[in-house]
Amino acid sequence: MTRRSGGESDPIVGTPVPRLDAEAKVRGEARYADDLAFAGMVHVKTIRSERPHARIVRLDLSGVESAPGVVGIATVADIPGENIVPIIYRDMPLLAAGVVRYVGEPLALVAAETRDAAREAAARARVAYEDLPAVFDPRDALAHGAPPIARPDAADEGNAFNHMVIRKGDVAQGFAQADVIVEGEYEVGYQEHAYLEPQGVVAVPEDGGMTVYGTLQCPFYVQNAVANVLGLPLARVRIVQTCTGGGFGGKEDVPSHLAALAAVVAWKLRRPAKLVLDRSEDIATTSKRHPGSIRYRTGARRDGTLTAVEVEFYYNAGAYQTLSSAVLWRGLVHAPGPYRIPNVKVDAYSVATNTVPCGAFRGFGSPQVIFAHESQMDELARRLGMDPLELRAKNALRVGDETATGQVLTESVGLGACLAKAREISRWEEVQAEVAAFNRRERFKRRGVGVSTVMYGVGMGAKAPLLDKAGAYLKLEADGSVTLAVGTTEMGQGAETVLVQIAADGLGVPVGMVRVAPVDTSRVPDSGPTVASRTTTVQGMAVLDAARRLRLRIEDAVRAILGCPTFTVAGHRFCHPQDPARSVSFAEVARWMWTRNWDMGVTGWAEGKPVDWDPATGHGNAYFVYSYACHIALVEVDLLTGETRVNRFWAVHDSGRIVNPATARGQVIGGIAQGIGYALMEELPSRDGRILAPSFTSYHIPTARDVPAGIAVAFVEAPYSGGPFGAKGLGEVPLMASHAAVANAVSSATGGRLRAYPAIPERVLDLVAKGA
Amino acid sequence: MDLPEIVRPRDLADAVRLTGEGGKPLVGGTDLFVRLRKGAERPPFLVYVGELPELRGIHETEGGVEIGAAATHVEILSAPATAQLPILRLALATIGSPALRHMGTLGGNVVNASPAGDGLVPLYLLGAQVNVVGPARERSLPVEEFVLGPGRTALQPGELIRSLTIPLPRDGAHPYFRKVGRRQALLIAVASLGALVWVEDGAVREARLALGSVAPTVLRPREVERALVGRPLTVEALAELRDALSSAVRPISDLRASADYRRRVSGNLLLDLSSLASG
Repeated sequence: MTRRSGGESDPIVGTPVPRLDAEAKVRGEARYADDLAFAGMVHVKTIRSERPHARIVRLDLSGVESAPGVVGIATVADIPGENIVPIIYRDMPLLAAGVVRYVGEPLALVAAETRDAAREAAARARVAYEDLPAVFDPRDALAHGAPPIARPDAADEGNAFNHMVIRKGDVAQGFAQADVIVEGEYEVGYQEHAYLEPQGVVAVPEDGGMTVYGTLQCPFYVQNAVANVLGLPLARVRIVQTCTGGGFGGKEDVPSHLAALAAVVAWKLRRPAKLVLDRSEDIATTSKRHPGSIRYRTGARRDGTLTAVEVEFYYNAGAYQTLSSAVLWRGLVHAPGPYRIPNVKVDAYSVATNTVPCGAFRGFGSPQVIFAHESQMDELARRLGMDPLELRAKNALRVGDETATGQVLTESVGLGACLAKAREISRWEEVQAEVAAFNRRERFKRRGVGVSTVMYGVGMGAKAPLLDKAGAYLKLEADGSVTLAVGTTEMGQGAETVLVQIAADGLGVPVGMVRVAPVDTSRVPDSGPTVASRTTTVQGMAVLDAARRLRLRIEDAVRAILGCPTFTVAGHRFCHPQDPARSVSFAEVARWMWTRNWDMGVTGWAEGKPVDWDPATGHGNAYFVYSYACHIALVEVDLLTGETRVNRFWAVHDSGRIVNPATARGQVIGGIAQGIGYALMEELPSRDGRILAPSFTSYHIPTARDVPAGIAVAFVEAPYSGGPFGAKGLGEVPLMASHAAVANAVSSATGGRLRAYPAIPERVLDLVAKGA
Repeated sequence: MDLPEIVRPRDLADAVRLTGEGGKPLVGGTDLFVRLRKGAERPPFLVYVGELPELRGIHETEGGVEIGAAATHVEILSAPATAQLPILRLALATIGSPALRHMGTLGGNVVNASPAGDGLVPLYLLGAQVNVVGPARERSLPVEEFVLGPGRTALQPGELIRSLTIPLPRDGAHPYFRKVGRRQALLIAVASLGALVWVEDGAVREARLALGSVAPTVLRPREVERALVGRPLTVEALAELRDALSSAVRPISDLRASADYRRRVSGNLLLDLSSLASG
């Protein structure tokens, strides 16, 4: 690995470079999907199923077609290619054909001159249904005689989309060796992404193909889906990401569906077609975090050493597979937690029901099981009379240890350091004493402290190693500025800034000289999805690869210009080692290269290190590396009302080398906020497969006042040899850790044991009553 | 959303005339726009009354304060005249968020007649009068008679609220306001309790209580108010009335909370009045 000569300019990686996209967003100049307009553009509204499971007897769109302002309609018959949105499986139709399987499933499309006209026209659709038996709960769906929902070719057995296992050691023996066994059942419901910008795309027919602009995370997924429904070669389909106002996984697979819908309309009408969801349609019909039921059992010796873990859990996948198999697999691998456990048995099920398909959401199937494993650790600590931090430290994975899937960790395990740092910055002993004093003093308030530790497998993992790749294109302009094209997306997480830092550091230019081009599938090779906290690690390596190649070419030019085999660097000038007066600036080098017709463009490529998996046993190197975290929350519960407030928070992360401490800190604080919401307030009730109140009036996410002012964030950096400058992934980890710390704090404050999210005042008041 | 046309009246008489023609009075729109968007209401046009001088302003009057129906929460919170009404300020400060308090009005809160209306709780405690103008006459009625049920008021077609007259409470009242829900802002109360309590020689001389979100309208539990008289503001003394207050409320179960929880919390909040003894 060549490193640039070093010392010539200040390092950029590791510094808090301000977010490059911040100013345009703050000024209101950033252009989001709904800001786009094209000549002749129509507005599309989706006509959706009103029933959870039914045969479509008749679809009468005559009233829709004749409504004012309507330009045209599209039905299954208008799909030129295949009526399938390909994700992992091929079970989900673009438009329901014959049968609907969830409330909100697309049936047909209407295009009109205005959005209001399209909406009003869509309301005139007349659909005759013949209801079929429907199930909404995974337990019912798996019961004998349940109506079939899953397509047989997309399911392991019946309505079990997938059943995955880990078998390690012998749990019967492990529990026999245990002095203490704790057992619990945990329930979590939906979590809605609540990204600021709702879903939206504009499909523009051009050059015999289709270009789609949209708010999205995974342009190459969208390209594949659009090509599939239009029956076009991939090269005729181009996807351009617009400024994306948040994703959190909600724009991983859903934009494929929406883009394909808009593309079918645009293709038929030969006009640009915009499809933007309003908030309630977005909440009611797009993916969310899987509801889960988790049964968990943990055994330990008297000294706290874990002997066995047995887990069985069920995720409600909804009517189609979408990403559920991948979500389930991550849940499976993460279910045992970041601990050394000799005997492990995990059974994970994702189950088809007549509900809206669930999908990706920050943490991707892990937060549900983390709630369970971290609750178990606290229950165990209480039973053993052990300090919960000490119990975790005793069992925490170290370099050389074997994970629950039999993977030996060879490097970059900062978990122990996270625990130690968390103890230090929280002033753990003093905080406990302060809490105890407060609780003795107050009559109607109780405080509690909760801990959570997590590990996170960075990247796609052994379930989808083919997707763990990334391409980059770096172009040196004639004036020395640099254009960077990448295949992964900025969605608000700060990727653009971090990638520019890596490019600038690799090239030896200031950050201001590098500009990222809009992500466009026609510019770079398929770089996989922007998910799995992999962008800094994998895309960052591709950028660094390109930067190093370009740097070598630049250095060749410098040597030619100076007429000398070596050179020194001062500031951004290259100098003759013997005659410092002879020097050339970076911009002059670029100009020199341009005037001599040098190739000034380079591509970079990276892929994740090898992983492997045996589905029969759940053994293998599941991920190429893991990130770790320890969170501590201090909450205050009102005993009269059950209201809970998070007062303080301490978060320590090992995500390897931190490229940008400011954006990393932002990621952590955002994840804490999202975790507070998940643990304490976010709830999306549904009845018979229908989301009852798809609006922010009743779906409460935290406000600024619900997030404590006192959040301490620290990073312990255990470098990873496979990441740029030693970086691992961070994006998802803060959310994964935070909610469980809050939950444990609530349990500690009330003296009860929280076993279901969210801990709304009503539920907490019940805990208080039980704990008293 | 297609907004109905917004008409700007020349003066109050014009506003009354336009309202009589079916126009819906509009100031901040914080509740109205939500209803329009839902299609819960489809007025032919909106009458923007936010700039009518008669509906603006916050003045001291003989023994009270008059607040124009178009005064925003922020204006009310910062008006010198309301310094004498700490209970009003306590409650209004919890409404929505800064943005909503800048746009929303107390008049709107009254006409919206939500059982969860945070602005209504202090008006019930203070015995506010609602001053109404209409095509025929002006009239004034107590807020408890003005609000008939969830979203229902005594406003006749063509009438609109001109102002609210709030009598000053006797000196020495301890104000209390507490709103319960799952977050700290942008919250529709799951239950709320407001109180004015006068204490003399360690015992309650007079107590007024008003509860929000636990009945079809804001509720004054007068039997509990009377039973408080003569008691010390201790947890033990208040606890004796907890069940009485829980039985006085008539809550429903909805997506935000169960009736049982609202009943329990109503009673529990009474205990929190013990905080007034020390404060």
